[in-house]
Amino acid sequence: MKPGLPLLALVAAVTAGCSTPAADARVTESVPDRASFPDVAQALEHRCGMLDCHGTIYRNMRLYGNESLRLLPTDRPLSPPHPCTTSGEVDEDFNSVVGLEPELMSAVVADHGANPERLTFVRKPLGLESHKGGVVMQAGDDLDVCIRTWLGGQTQTAACQRVGPPTFPPPPSGQMPACQPGP
Amino acid sequence: MKHLRSFLAFCAVVALAACDPVHSDEVSALGGEADGVPRGPLHRPGQPCTVCHDGALGDPPGFTIAGTVYQRPSDTTGLVNVTVNMLDKAGSCFSTTTNAAGNFYVTSRQWTPTYPIVRTTAGGSGTCAPCAAGAGGRCVQMFSEIGWSGSCSSCHTQTSGPSSPGRVTLALDDGGTPP
Repeated sequence: MKPGLPLLALVAAVTAGCSTPAADARVTESVPDRASFPDVAQALEHRCGMLDCHGTIYRNMRLYGNESLRLLPTDRPLSPPHPCTTSGEVDEDFNSVVGLEPELMSAVVADHGANPERLTFVRKPLGLESHKGGVVMQAGDDLDVCIRTWLGGQTQTAACQRVGPPTFPPPPSGQMPACQPGP
Repeated sequence: MKHLRSFLAFCAVVALAACDPVHSDEVSALGGEADGVPRGPLHRPGQPCTVCHDGALGDPPGFTIAGTVYQRPSDTTGLVNVTVNMLDKAGSCFSTTTNAAGNFYVTSRQWTPTYPIVRTTAGGSGTCAPCAAGAGGRCVQMFSEIGWSGSCSSCHTQTSGPSSPGRVTLALDDGGTPP
């Protein structure tokens, strides 16, 4: 055996181990239903998107909406000109949620929502994993049902709407119109 | 010798606790005390109280919730004797009143909420009931919940913006009702 052969094999193995995917490689994702997401977004915004929680640009799961963080620099929480959550904010929320763990999210969607605890997005609010905001969702409560059914492709919008006020009662001044969830 | 070791260990803990650059930057950003206002219940209205009042070793007394209420956003002084009512997730209600600077504060001995705080009102009757219809300008209610921050001013900053509704006020400058 030539003395250089093992060394050559080692170099080849190391090189192969350090190879990266092709630059043009793409992963096809399966994402949960976008059409029913506005109701899910409103529920998430109310329960998770407060300004001191996920309604801040400092969170990976950043949530926009009319109650807290606004997308447009000219908008204010619950104030004109856009007192209701905008379609742009729902888009951002959707991208934020599905982009957290795209491969796992795809797997859960492919399994029709089975075992959603695979997702950090589900484990944290349930308290199964350390969460700054503590336990904000109980198994079987409206938010839990909202999220699980959305991941399973059959969103129970009524459960989502029960999480937060489906409409905001106009204040005494009558300045703020009632909001319907979604864009 | 034993006492000396204990003392040195204590000093080391204190020194480590004091070496949080993020916290130090937050404290520095608050600036100095206002002229003529001594440290105490009336100082620093409108600032995020729990940056310093966090209950950490060596810091001033810890607060679970604290803030300042104004009548209108452009006011330079806080509103005196306003009742602030908070209802937490567990159904516990706590009410307190603003002092001569418009400040209010709650210590952990008085109340430690189970977050989130699901309803907060300023003004009103000293209960955690929603503000009555027609109470605009005298009672204001938060529609969003408070997740974990005990400093009202960490979100309710001096000026409103995409990430803040502005100060806690009972009315807007144009006489309207704040969100």
